[in-house]
Amino acid sequence: MHRTTARSHFQIQRDVIYALLLQELTSTFGKSRGGFMWVLIEPIAHLLVPMFIFGFIRQALVPGVEYPVFLVYGFLPFLLFKSVCLQMVNGVNAAQGLLSYRQVQLMDVFIAKAIAYAVIQTVVFAIVLTGLAMFGYDVLPPHPVEFAAVLALTIMLAFGLGLVLAAFASLVPDARQVIQVMFMPLYFASGILFPVTRFPDEWVGWMAVNPVLHLVELTRAMAIDGYEPMKFLSITYPVVLALTSTVIGLMLYRLRYLERVTR
Amino acid sequence: MISLDRVTKSYMTLTGRKVVFRDLSFDIPDDVNVGLIGRNGAGKTTLMRLLGAADLPDSGNIITRGRLSWPVGLRGSLQKKLTGRENVKFACRIHGIRRKEMQQKICYVQEFADIGDHFDLPVSTYSSGMIARVAFGTSMAFDFDYYLIDEVMAVGDASFKRKSQQVFKERLQHAKVILVSHNMRLIEDMCDVIVHLADGHATVYKNVRRGIAVYEKAGGER
Repeated sequence: MHRTTARSHFQIQRDVIYALLLQELTSTFGKSRGGFMWVLIEPIAHLLVPMFIFGFIRQALVPGVEYPVFLVYGFLPFLLFKSVCLQMVNGVNAAQGLLSYRQVQLMDVFIAKAIAYAVIQTVVFAIVLTGLAMFGYDVLPPHPVEFAAVLALTIMLAFGLGLVLAAFASLVPDARQVIQVMFMPLYFASGILFPVTRFPDEWVGWMAVNPVLHLVELTRAMAIDGYEPMKFLSITYPVVLALTSTVIGLMLYRLRYLERVTR
Repeated sequence: MISLDRVTKSYMTLTGRKVVFRDLSFDIPDDVNVGLIGRNGAGKTTLMRLLGAADLPDSGNIITRGRLSWPVGLRGSLQKKLTGRENVKFACRIHGIRRKEMQQKICYVQEFADIGDHFDLPVSTYSSGMIARVAFGTSMAFDFDYYLIDEVMAVGDASFKRKSQQVFKERLQHAKVILVSHNMRLIEDMCDVIVHLADGHATVYKNVRRGIAVYEKAGGER
C-alpha cells in the first residue's frame, strides 16, 4: 500500500518543499480567478495614485526619466522585499498545522514561502512592466543580467532579515504587528515616490543606512537607461547585510529561537 | 519499541514558562497497543506530538522504531484553509506519493469520510465530527507500524464510530496503536498496556484494568 522504498533526506525535503510550494501557489493563483486579480490590483492601485499626482510635474521630478518608469522600478522591488520578508515573519504562525507531519521542518516552510512569494511578485513585476510598455514607455532594462542579480539580492536580503525578524517576533509579544507597521515608514525612506538626489547630501548620508534604499536605487541604475543613482550608492553594503543576516537567521533557527511561539 | 529518556518539555505562555514534563522516562515494550490516559491538561497531546516528531523536546531523547504516523487529532494535522481533498493531497505529496497512487488514496478517504460536498470545502467549515472523519480516514490511507490516535474516534456519530473501529481492528492485525481517549471501554477493548499521565509523571501498567482503576480513583471520568 505505502511505498516502502526509503527516501533520502534530500528527497524528503524536495517532496515537502514541492508540496508546500504547490499549496502556496494554488491558494494564490488556483482557487478562484479573483485570487490573483487581488494580488495584481493592490500594487496597480498603489502605483496609479502617485502617477496621477506627480504626472503633471514629471519633467521637474527626475531629469531625463519618465516618472511612471521611475516609480515602477522603485515600488516593485520594494514590494518584492516586503512580501517575502513579511512571509518569513508570519511563517511560524502559518506553519503550525503543517508541522504535525514529521517530514515538514520549519525551514522547509520558510524556503517554500520565500520561493512562492518571489515567484508571485516577479510575475506581478512582469505584468506591470508589460502594461507600461503597452502605453509606449521604454521599460526594457539596459543591463538585464545585473538587473536580475539585484532582484536575487533583494530576495536574499528579505529572506535573511525575515528570519532574524521572525526570531525576534517569536520572543517579543506583539513584535509581529510592530514589524508590519514599520514597513510604512520604510516605504517613505526608500526613495520610491521621490528621487533622493533631490535631498541634501547630509540627509542622503543618513538615509543610506536603509539597505532597501540601496536595492531600489540599484534596480533603477540597472533597469533605466541614463538614470543617475544617489550618492553613497553601494553594492557591498546590501550584499554584506544579506549574507550576515542570512547566517545569523540560520543560526537562530539552529538554536531553535524561531520555534518558540508564544501561545 | 518506544523509549523516552529524561524528556523535558515546556512551552512559553503569556504568563510564563509552563513545564509539561520534567525528566520523563519510560519504556513501552514491542508489539503492544498502548492506551494513553490522564486528566485534561496532563500532557497527553503534548506526548503524542513528541512521539510523532511534530514537536521537539527541550532536552532528552525519544527513541522509536518502525514507522509512526503523525499525531491524528482534532487539531493540528488538517489545515483549516485547505479543503479535505487538498489536505489528503498534501499528505500524499510529503510522503512521496503521486499520480495514480494519490488518486487511490483520495478515493479511499472520500469514501471513508463520507461527508459529501464538504470534501471540497475548506476544513474551517467542518464540524468536529467531519474533521474526525477526514483526519482519521487520511491516516488509515497510509500504512504505518504505529498509529497515533488522539481522541478522534470518540467524536462523531454512531455510524462513524462503528466504521472507524471496524477499519481500525483490521489494521491492527499488522500494526499497533497509541490511543488517547477518555472512553475507557474503547481503551479496554483496544489496548494491552496503559500509560497513565499525572503531574508530569508517567506510569506504565501492564494490567489494563489496574491502570484504568488507578486513573478513575485519581478522579478521571469514565
